[in-house]
Amino acid sequence: MSAAPCDTLPTAANNIQPFLVLHKAAASSVPSSRAKRRIQTSQPSSPNPKSANRCRQPAGEECEDEGDLELYEQLRVEAFHRTWSKIQSTIDEVLRAINLKLFDQVLQWAKESFASVRAITKPHQTEVQQPYPLLTDVICRRIPTAFVLTKNAEFVDDITTFHDLAEHMKSNGCHVVKLSAAELSAKHGVGGCFRSLLRQLLSDVSDVADVSALASWYCEAENFDQPIIVIIDDLEQCSGDVLGELVMMLSEWVFKIPVFFVMGIATTLDAPKKLLSSEALQRLEPCKLTLGSPSDRLNALVEAILVKPCAGFCISHEVALFLKNYFFRHDGTITSFITALRLACSKHFSMEPLSFLCIGMLEEDSEEFWHDKFESLPQAIRKYAFDLPSSKNANNSNNSCNMLEGLSRLLKLQKDWSSVLLCLYEAGIHDKVQLLDIFCEAVNPDLQTENAPDSYLFASKVTCENLLGVKSGSAKGFIAQVMNTIRYLPMEVLLHVLEVWSIHLKGMSEINDRVKELQSTTIGADSVRVKRRSTASTGNGTVVLNEKVAVLLQDVIRKYLVPVESLPFHEIICFKNVDILQSALIGNPRRMIQLDLLKSQSHLKCSCCRSGAAVSGSLHDTSIMCNLAQEYGDVINLHDWYTAFEGIIKSSNSKAKRKSYSSPSKKKSKATPPEGEGMIQARFCRAVTEMQITGLVRMPSKRRPDLVQRITFGP
Amino acid sequence: MAPRGGRAAASSGSEDEEEEAGFSRSYFLAKEKEPLSGKKRARAAAGKLSDLNLVDEQVLRASLAEIPPKHKEEVEALTRSYKDQYRNWLFELRCGFGLLMYGFGSKKQLLEDFASTTLTDFTVVVINGYLPSVNLKQVIATIAEMFWDQTKAKRKRQPGTRSQLSQQFPSQSTEDIISFLMRQTSDDVDDRVCLLIHSVDGPALRDAESQQCLAQISCCPQVRVVASIDHVNAPLLWDKKMVHKQFKWSWYHVPTFAPYKVEGVFYPLILASGGHAQTTKTALVVLQSLTPNAQSVFRVLAEYQLANEKEEGMPVSSLYTKCRERFLVSSQVTLNSHLTEFKDHDLVKIRKHSDGQDCLRIPLVCDALEKLLQELA
Repeated sequence: MSAAPCDTLPTAANNIQPFLVLHKAAASSVPSSRAKRRIQTSQPSSPNPKSANRCRQPAGEECEDEGDLELYEQLRVEAFHRTWSKIQSTIDEVLRAINLKLFDQVLQWAKESFASVRAITKPHQTEVQQPYPLLTDVICRRIPTAFVLTKNAEFVDDITTFHDLAEHMKSNGCHVVKLSAAELSAKHGVGGCFRSLLRQLLSDVSDVADVSALASWYCEAENFDQPIIVIIDDLEQCSGDVLGELVMMLSEWVFKIPVFFVMGIATTLDAPKKLLSSEALQRLEPCKLTLGSPSDRLNALVEAILVKPCAGFCISHEVALFLKNYFFRHDGTITSFITALRLACSKHFSMEPLSFLCIGMLEEDSEEFWHDKFESLPQAIRKYAFDLPSSKNANNSNNSCNMLEGLSRLLKLQKDWSSVLLCLYEAGIHDKVQLLDIFCEAVNPDLQTENAPDSYLFASKVTCENLLGVKSGSAKGFIAQVMNTIRYLPMEVLLHVLEVWSIHLKGMSEINDRVKELQSTTIGADSVRVKRRSTASTGNGTVVLNEKVAVLLQDVIRKYLVPVESLPFHEIICFKNVDILQSALIGNPRRMIQLDLLKSQSHLKCSCCRSGAAVSGSLHDTSIMCNLAQEYGDVINLHDWYTAFEGIIKSSNSKAKRKSYSSPSKKKSKATPPEGEGMIQARFCRAVTEMQITGLVRMPSKRRPDLVQRITFGP
Repeated sequence: MAPRGGRAAASSGSEDEEEEAGFSRSYFLAKEKEPLSGKKRARAAAGKLSDLNLVDEQVLRASLAEIPPKHKEEVEALTRSYKDQYRNWLFELRCGFGLLMYGFGSKKQLLEDFASTTLTDFTVVVINGYLPSVNLKQVIATIAEMFWDQTKAKRKRQPGTRSQLSQQFPSQSTEDIISFLMRQTSDDVDDRVCLLIHSVDGPALRDAESQQCLAQISCCPQVRVVASIDHVNAPLLWDKKMVHKQFKWSWYHVPTFAPYKVEGVFYPLILASGGHAQTTKTALVVLQSLTPNAQSVFRVLAEYQLANEKEEGMPVSSLYTKCRERFLVSSQVTLNSHLTEFKDHDLVKIRKHSDGQDCLRIPLVCDALEKLLQELA
């Protein structure tokens, strides 16, 4: 093997080896157990020899700090994993629940198809293994096939859906095989594809894959009385020939070995017609099923992850807006939304020193959890906690009791907030309001100040300032829309809404009582309305009641819809830094690399190059070339480019020379050795090569050896 | 919509549009600069490379090695400034993300420094993607062997479990090795592997298959990936599944302005003998991989072309006759198979002769062709 273990720093040999092992892992250090032990000692910043030992610098206090740093970092990593696994499992649950209806349809279809196949003929086990097909009639050789319309332009969301479908079918006793588009490609051919089918069913597959192996497997008693479902998740990407061949082959056997297809279609039902030959198409007995739309799924996800505090992690208004735009403008896939959220979560735990306290939200006894953690907090981190901007605004007394209180209140208010938000959404559904929209509005810290803050809420200074700038346009919010909707809801719907409210508001007895009260009067009003119907005055009572509900809601919103960002200590659970999220999520090399070169001074911060002025010779060579390239069209004449480059270098050299007479600084003297043509040409060559590596220019073709092609235009 | 949200969305929207407009504007400006009608004239008027007083390739290469570094201190300071982020990078790796570094300048040193100072808990495997060929299968086989050794060692420590037969990874298929890697969890192996890929968009890894393979490795439970990209179009290598479900990139913009020294070695020098070096070199590589007979057929063609420089090319029929005479081919079919091979590698071009028959021409100038023949011998 060409890889040799090598502990030294990169050498020349390392550069030309295709791959190498740079170093092996250090003797297994498992800091997690130590961290726990450390935390459990619950003595505030006690000198711990074990943690000190691990430090590289043997310098007393610093060492202690670094030990703590590592410990708490480890805690945060663990907290991230716990939080995210909670969120992930919630996501999985939600998506599965949404798809369950479809899954049951598929299962039903499979059962019915199996029954109908078996109704025509029920071959004996020995018959199945006979090489000759049982029936030769075309009609009887059709494979039941479910086409699942995914309604997604992007396939990536459906990967999990089909994975879940496979699990669902498996758990209901079907044999399931999943074939991907990669397996159904011309490269693998029908042989490779069939082999992978066998591999998923049989424990060991011989090199020669044929149907008889499948037949004999199917005849085993435990396999016999169930259909085999072949799931092809991305039909459009498959090779039509290979799939056609597979269909033809399996259709000959369908009565002996009931193999059914489930095919995911991203476009329309025309797809199989376009893909398969008419002969193969004839062998399929289609059935059409449809998945839910992405925005339904998004609403459900937002409710489960963002609105209900499922994991103690939440996002700020700006981040919420960013995520919303990212979903609607980027590609509209749930997957990218989840990726963004996950990145936000990891950034939060990575940047916020106290973020490990988040998981306290998940604990049964949060207060006790926090209490324990506080006791062992080192002084530095404690100080940090009380220096958080939000906690400064709220209180000035620094003790853990205070912080505990703050966090508990945070937890409580978050719960109330989410209940109220759900109530709002329940009413908003009737006006097609999306949950994500209301959510974004409800996390807006300006909202709270708008709603005339009650004395016990802590309006931060920042939000007040923000308010000044934005208040004017606030009338047309989604929340206002919901309020409006409530005023015009018909009685039956209103009743239903109230009913759901009383479920959402279970934890808030005071409000729930008021809802109950309204419900009872509603019933009264209802009867009044029925009585009055004959007199054709359309329910004066209803209007009053709608108004009452609206007033209640307004009241509740004012009191309880407190955005997390206006609460003390919210920094601990709330991720706010939208810029960092954006830069980590969406890299833009095309733009950034050009900007790097065009504005190299801003990165290098050198004293020699002035920005704004004409291209100076002291700039990075490639930067000069890139600047020069801006002058050209989509092709660059090498001769001219070189001449311009040479001119700049020479002029700056002569300037430098002149200067060096007066002030022979060390730096200048380095650059002064007379640069021959060779050197300038070499520098030109290297700059072109670097631009080629970064993909800014393309090499000259053989036909036009004097011209290189520019690929990027304008950063 | 919330007032602030509305404004933020609107402003970011107009920014996008502006950007878009800026992009198209500069494209059309660029197009404009080369007047379409006078294109030929303009090009004729413009200087040619041959007008320059180009130095010899050897001198050029010698100077290349001695280019004085510009802004040496600033570049070093810039690279050092990323040290503060190492801990955050490590944190994200631990969270299961892959790190993707981009920005102008070679990131080789930066990443290796990161690996050797911060990734001490990982076994770090470096892939030099900027090289013209990398055998990924060897890489994953090495990782698999490492895991296998650890699993074996672990099993030995636990009496009662019998260790399985040893595995011969290099002889297994890539899929099998990857599925072995996928099965390894923290219960099986102690060490995690960090795959450090320099130029994951490099020439050797630019094909779909390599990227698929890397994507699959990157989602193995005990493997993490740190990679750098250099090309502006690198993101086009990946589809949604790879980005979101496999690589799980977290992007970092880390321009270093360090020279692309090792990365640039395999690029031809633009001022070196007008680019012939490259074509001769590539032609040589292709020819050397062919059978001696095919090489000889090519030689016949080349010699004819050198002898009859003015002609449009060698008629296929005369090539066939010549080759038969020398017992290089026995039938037109064999010759055709050779010719197809040549054509596929751009070694010959077919043109219609003025009298109507096909004739063959090697798209190299005489000097280059002579050099090629010398080196082939």
